[in-house]
Amino acid sequence: MRWVIPLALMLAGCVTHSEPAELFQLTPESNRNRAMQIRTFETKDQRELLSASASVLQDLGFQVEESVREVGFLRAAKERSAREYGQYIQRTFVLILSLGKALMPVDLHQKIAASLVTRPLNPEGTRQEVRILFYRVVWKGEGQVDRQYIPPGEQHMEMIRDPEIYQQFFAKLSKAVFLEAHAI
Amino acid sequence: MRFSTRRRLHFEARRSVVFRAFAGAVGVILLGTLLTACTTPEPAKELLAPTDAQMKIRSLQTRKFDLKDRTVAMRGVIAALQDLGFIIERANEPLGLVTAARFAEPNYYDVVTVTVIVRPETADQMTIRANAIYNNRPIEDPKVYQNFFAALQRSLFLTNE
Repeated sequence: MRWVIPLALMLAGCVTHSEPAELFQLTPESNRNRAMQIRTFETKDQRELLSASASVLQDLGFQVEESVREVGFLRAAKERSAREYGQYIQRTFVLILSLGKALMPVDLHQKIAASLVTRPLNPEGTRQEVRILFYRVVWKGEGQVDRQYIPPGEQHMEMIRDPEIYQQFFAKLSKAVFLEAHAI
Repeated sequence: MRFSTRRRLHFEARRSVVFRAFAGAVGVILLGTLLTACTTPEPAKELLAPTDAQMKIRSLQTRKFDLKDRTVAMRGVIAALQDLGFIIERANEPLGLVTAARFAEPNYYDVVTVTVIVRPETADQMTIRANAIYNNRPIEDPKVYQNFFAALQRSLFLTNE
């Protein structure tokens, strides 16, 4: 099983490293993501829109971590367990197939975060735009390959690109804005 | 006779102990010097002084825009960063500061962080400066900043509409 580690290292070396210059370029996907992340609202009250967004995020179990009213910015996060049955089954299979020598690390803990910005679209400020981004950070548990111990705590990050999550959020927000707007 | 031999033996043993201790001390000092020679960095006097390279990087990172309202400029910066797939982490309106980060997709282990400062230069001009970091290495590639300012221009144009 000694060959596993060099092989893993080689494979890790194969992961394509994108040039930083490319990361500052607009790509075809950035338009698609934009459409998914943005909704506009016909309202003049930007403050209400921001506080309604905060309350929707609260309803979804998020804790607001930072907010700046002047630029309409809000950041919220929630921490949850990341344990999945599938991974445990896979782990058991790997353990059996490797004759008890490889113990795959499984996801233990995750932080789901949202970054939200509101913005007026016209000078009169009658149309407002809300843009939200969801992403998550996953912490892995311990593992073992042969005698090499893999300590827990390795991080993995990803953007959440499931349109349904964004649709759900905006559905809740438009409801909340409607309610807020008519609250006496 | 026997006594003196024993005494001499004793003396020799003592001498060898002293010699060994001495040699050991010399060894430690030598090794110490060698190690310090390896680890001690050159005390850089120019560490905090501006160099030509730094001035060049600063000019790459800075652009002037004909804008009156700083909040509008900041909103433009935020929108541009979001368009580029960045997650806004921090925003400070009084200081005109925006910090954002994104993963260097397709790999999710590297992180690109960018800090943008918006400052009023004159009554109707804003200076916008961006600092980008790839993991913990500053990005000095002019193309990166050109791309960023192109996206910013586009976003500010959209905002002004």
